[in-house]
Amino acid sequence: MLVDFELIKRAQKGDSAAFNEIVLVYRKRILGRISRLMARSEDVEDVAQEVFLRLFFSLDQLRTPEVFEPWLYRLTVNAAYDHLRKQRRRQEYRISDLSEQQVMMADAAAGGKVEREERERKKTREFVDSLLSEVSESDRVLLMMKEVEGLSLKELEKIYDVKENALKVRLFRARQRVLKAFGSKEHSPAQAGGV
Amino acid sequence: MSPMRGNIEERLDALFQAYREACPDPDPSPNFMPQLWQRIEARQAFSFSLRRMAGGFVTAALALSLALGVFMAIPRGSQGYPSQSYVEALADAQPLDSPDIVGTMSLDLSDPGK
Repeated sequence: MLVDFELIKRAQKGDSAAFNEIVLVYRKRILGRISRLMARSEDVEDVAQEVFLRLFFSLDQLRTPEVFEPWLYRLTVNAAYDHLRKQRRRQEYRISDLSEQQVMMADAAAGGKVEREERERKKTREFVDSLLSEVSESDRVLLMMKEVEGLSLKELEKIYDVKENALKVRLFRARQRVLKAFGSKEHSPAQAGGV
Repeated sequence: MSPMRGNIEERLDALFQAYREACPDPDPSPNFMPQLWQRIEARQAFSFSLRRMAGGFVTAALALSLALGVFMAIPRGSQGYPSQSYVEALADAQPLDSPDIVGTMSLDLSDPGK
């Protein structure tokens, strides 16, 4: 826990300063989590604000401060999922417009290590985003929470409020689909020398 | 570990790890907190006006039902519905001693020529 229980209790009683402090402590972590869940950097702040907005208006429903973090992550998952669902019609994962050769030429021209590293990171992000587009939004969020955020099944059980076995089945199926896409994309010419 | 080494499961794990490193936690913009509080206040104002409107509706409904109750409780004069049944009303309108309806008819059989 990044904050103590007393601060949460104060916020539950309507103390704005206490709530403000909670947001200041958690906002960077929530922003990071949302940016990885959604892969749309332009909407990250908007969704993070929505998370804290929901937190503000539902904090009095929290029974014990001990479950604050799983509860906050549940709000995060729900807000990200709602946003992804709204974006469903505007599906666009941003595969680089440049060919491999163009990238190499541009790389040589830039010559900088930082630029090269940033380009590598961008390619990794785009590749993983394209793999995750093979599963539904809800499975994408679940996979990210498990595989990228590193949450345990116990933690996910608390967040999703479902049995561990049901989560295992969903995770297995989603991972299998991503693996299949990974296998086929790995051998495609665009990715062969890349990620 | 390079994502290209090992079996496909390991490579996928490595790819997810690389993704985690490629997406560090972003810094919030300076407007993050002011915008958040603006949104909270806007939502509070909306729910406050909604509560006030709901309160107004409840008050109006209570006043209306009270007025209806009073109106129904006031006894009304002859314009109101009769409390008798249809047969009772008929009997009252035409008493048995009324000659028009139930008067006895006399039949004189002693004079056949008539």
